[in-house]
Amino acid sequence: MTDQGIGARVLRKEDKRFITGKGKYTDDIVQPNQAYAAFVRSPHAHANVKSIDTSAAEAMDGVEAVLNGHQLTGDGIGNIICGWGITSKDGSPMNMGAWSALATDKVRYVGDAVAVVIADSKAQAQAAAEAVMVDYEILPATSNVLASMKEGAPQIHENAPGNLIFDWEIGNKDETDAALASAHHTTTMEITNNRLSPNPMEPRSAVATFDESEDHYTLYTTSQNPHVARLVLSAFYNVAPEHKLRVIAPDVGGGFGAKIYIYPEEIVCLWASMKTNRSVKWTSTRSEAFLTDAHGRDHVSTATMGFDADNNIVGFKINTKANLGAYMSLFSSSVPTYLYATLLSGQYNIANVYCDVQTYYTNTVPVDAYRGAGRPEAAYLIERMMETAARELGVDPGELRRQNFVREFPHQTPVIMAYDSGDFAGNLDQAKAAADVAGFSARKEEAARRGKLRGLGYSNYIEACGIAPSAAVGSLGAGVGLWESAEVRVNPVGTIEILTGSHSHGQGHETTFAQLVSERFDLPTDNIQIVHGDTDKVQFGMGTYGSRSGAVGMSAISKALDKVEAKVKKIAAHVLEASEDDIVIEGGEVKVKGTDKAMGWHEVGLSAYTAHNLPEGMEPGLKEGAFYDPTNFTFPAGCYICEVEVDPQTGVTEIVQFTASDDFGTIINPMIVEGQVHGGIAQGIGQAMLEHAVYDDDGQLLSGSYMDYCMPRADDVPNYTVSHHSTTCPGNPLGMKGCGEAGAIGSPPAVINAITDAIGNNNLSMPATPSRVWAALQQVSAAQAAE
Amino acid sequence: MTKVTMTVNGKARSAEVPDNTLLVDYIRENLRLTGTHVGCDTSQCGACVVHVNGQAVKACTMLAASAEGAEVTTIEGVAASKDDLHPMQVAFKENHGLQCGFCTPGMIMTATDMVSRYKEAGKTLDEHAIREELEGNICRCTGYHNIVKAIADGASKMA
Amino acid sequence: MDMSGEYRIAAPIQTVWDAIQDPEILRGAIPGCEELEKTSDTEMSAKVSLKIGPVKAKFAGEVTLKDMDAPNSLKIEGEGKGGIAGFAKGGADVQLAEDGNETILTYQAEAQVGGKIAQLGSRLIQSTAAKLADKFFANLRDELEDS
Repeated sequence: MTDQGIGARVLRKEDKRFITGKGKYTDDIVQPNQAYAAFVRSPHAHANVKSIDTSAAEAMDGVEAVLNGHQLTGDGIGNIICGWGITSKDGSPMNMGAWSALATDKVRYVGDAVAVVIADSKAQAQAAAEAVMVDYEILPATSNVLASMKEGAPQIHENAPGNLIFDWEIGNKDETDAALASAHHTTTMEITNNRLSPNPMEPRSAVATFDESEDHYTLYTTSQNPHVARLVLSAFYNVAPEHKLRVIAPDVGGGFGAKIYIYPEEIVCLWASMKTNRSVKWTSTRSEAFLTDAHGRDHVSTATMGFDADNNIVGFKINTKANLGAYMSLFSSSVPTYLYATLLSGQYNIANVYCDVQTYYTNTVPVDAYRGAGRPEAAYLIERMMETAARELGVDPGELRRQNFVREFPHQTPVIMAYDSGDFAGNLDQAKAAADVAGFSARKEEAARRGKLRGLGYSNYIEACGIAPSAAVGSLGAGVGLWESAEVRVNPVGTIEILTGSHSHGQGHETTFAQLVSERFDLPTDNIQIVHGDTDKVQFGMGTYGSRSGAVGMSAISKALDKVEAKVKKIAAHVLEASEDDIVIEGGEVKVKGTDKAMGWHEVGLSAYTAHNLPEGMEPGLKEGAFYDPTNFTFPAGCYICEVEVDPQTGVTEIVQFTASDDFGTIINPMIVEGQVHGGIAQGIGQAMLEHAVYDDDGQLLSGSYMDYCMPRADDVPNYTVSHHSTTCPGNPLGMKGCGEAGAIGSPPAVINAITDAIGNNNLSMPATPSRVWAALQQVSAAQAAE
Repeated sequence: MTKVTMTVNGKARSAEVPDNTLLVDYIRENLRLTGTHVGCDTSQCGACVVHVNGQAVKACTMLAASAEGAEVTTIEGVAASKDDLHPMQVAFKENHGLQCGFCTPGMIMTATDMVSRYKEAGKTLDEHAIREELEGNICRCTGYHNIVKAIADGASKMA
Repeated sequence: MDMSGEYRIAAPIQTVWDAIQDPEILRGAIPGCEELEKTSDTEMSAKVSLKIGPVKAKFAGEVTLKDMDAPNSLKIEGEGKGGIAGFAKGGADVQLAEDGNETILTYQAEAQVGGKIAQLGSRLIQSTAAKLADKFFANLRDELEDS
């Protein structure tokens, strides 16, 4: 067998172009006769637009056009939609407010675009955008759910009274209330999940070209899912019918969720290209990215967990208030509902779980999926609760978890999910051994001698990926199916092209997907090309998010490979005059088992295309496609253990050890999987200790640059000890579960559990900055002084 | 407009550009060397790092006119020849020190500068030093673990 | 954000009172003021160039004098649009008290900014605004004492 198959640490095929500066990102693309767009954005969080004076801007050198929202809607460009309908407790649909790509009468967050300037150069466009005079009537604003909920709060959308978008519930309320009422011990916490800015390093960008002679549009864009972008641009925004619109997502510099959505700028660039008959390019500045890329998280929850006298969990009840920002972004409604509350049983066997969620509009940028999307919020809630309960009950936090683990599969939780596999105790044991938990007390004492407070925290996360059977998500409100497609093209010379609807923006699909083919046909990965990200090349696909490209995307490839393999064997059996069952594919040859009869792999390809000697009735060619719809979610899970040292004088916290044991099912390329975990953990550490997207009470974004939004730097994070303890996923042909988000989901509670353990004060919220940790330490000192 | 003349990746280049043209825009837009990236507008992210007269510089903080007469090296010119890779480029690949690739050119340019500076000063470039030296380069994908490994490996390959 | 301060000005109270409403003097006193014209007894239009942190912007705006109780107190309100840089709003309650031939001026000021200035300069606004307010009243004193 080739050494490039499943499980091999194959170096990445895509790296060469990236390390030599030859990657092709959207902003690198230049079209003939290209003009530049600059957006005129509201500096107010909430205001009526009384008038827009574009005369000065229009007169400026190089300005092609200045366009506004009335022209946009006048041309029939549709409002931006949320693609997942949520039904409230009382059966009413969610209150989706109108969102025009260019605001017409009202702006609802700082950064809301009201006009666009198209000019010959970037500098001319920016200068002219400054000259557009907008007369605003400033309205009072809200920037968080607690303000939006208040009686008399500013009304952001007319059709959402009290700014409420929906009031949704899941689980068994009466049983949960009864269980908690009869519990021997209850733990109650108020938990805030801090708002984050995703910050892929490549800012969003779009280059739109309208070809008048063909009545056809081409859009290069920084998208995680170009086909979904085309579908939505076509079906809802009425830019052009799908066959007249090609969307290409070339190299994309990170996504993390922020590049799933179709933003106003892409719509406007396409439309402006038609209006001006020029290619129109827009690339976000980082400042614009902070203002306009969908943010993540921003939940405020109250939770109560009940235990019986033997410390078994008997019930878990949660209320969550989620901030969805000024408008409903594409998947915003699914994040605090089906991607969140369905995971609130955690790794634990809990008979009664109930959660209700209220979502509100605020005068902030829309909030949508960010790496993990709902699952980090769930894991943080449960794992903070478990650690806190263990402290209150005076038991070992690892053992309290172990005692309550789900041990038999399949396991039906009270909140929809049916876990299919896992070995939670196995992950706990592996992580404990790797983290040398047994030696912790000695390390703590040694740290104390150096004047440092050392603490240890667990997180036993579970998440749901590979979202999910299309019929199931459809019944829950999703506007799309969540299958994936693949096409395998074997060329006449035997090289292979794999067309996939998944999209790689750092995940290394060009390598891992090739490994899957290499495994199947025993061919070097150099002979295999992965084609993705272009709606003209790949017929349809759902893109990459929710750690779905392995479990769903590769399963589709696997199904297509099945068909190719069957045809190859038929051709070889015919040519070699043997039985199909005796044909094996190995070492670049297609052989008859136990004989020296063989033909080269490339000869099979050639035979298929020359069609001189094919079995009776067989069509020429060697190309097969498949659509794969998953049968269930997949359930990656694991145990993370974080160890920190806190300087009590300053509150500065150092992560001295971070250990992960993950269950991702089958692993194609351990090197890439470890890289995904590293990156996820760093983002989780960022959330736990550094990052916070902050608006002031008037809705002004205060964390609007890398000077104020603290991204993890190399010296903020440790080396990570990453290991795997996997069980095979029974739900897909490859046994894969997904690894893209686990690090970001599992790590925040481990970090905060460790810091609160170190400082002896559980009252600490994310991000645990030195000042917050120091303040929490002062509370401890004050309490001790009072005693 | 200002006429700027400089040597970029060993070739003499000149152009008339608006006075306020940043070096990074000159490199990307005029010379079409798009390996140098722009990831922020406050000189924090380091995606635009190039070498000017042998020193790592954030090309977004420098006017093209300020590089008049300078020797500029970008990621496209860091290897000895078209068919070669610089040892640091090899180290990034071998250690999986990149994912989306957007910060990578800046990382590699910072890394090679870092290694040369430490070597010249006779200082040891250990893991702690590498992490501190990367203060001006942000990566969102890798969690830095493999970047740090790659730079240490690249340093030994450059020795 | 709120700021306050106190100045002793070597001029009689009526002189100070008149000065506060004199476009010539205000033009010299408002930091970065490039143009200031009276549009009515209590209203002026102004162009002011300011740098807050990394953002430099030219604001076009209105200055309004309110709650005038001659020669003891008044409120100065200003509002400026800085185009793409955002906006700034502010006001100062000013009290004048006679102390022999001199006048003691006290003020309480507040300021609000939005848009790019808030986004990029939020850490610096408090100190910048306090400095600007202080500079304004210091300039006013200097202009009066020099003349």
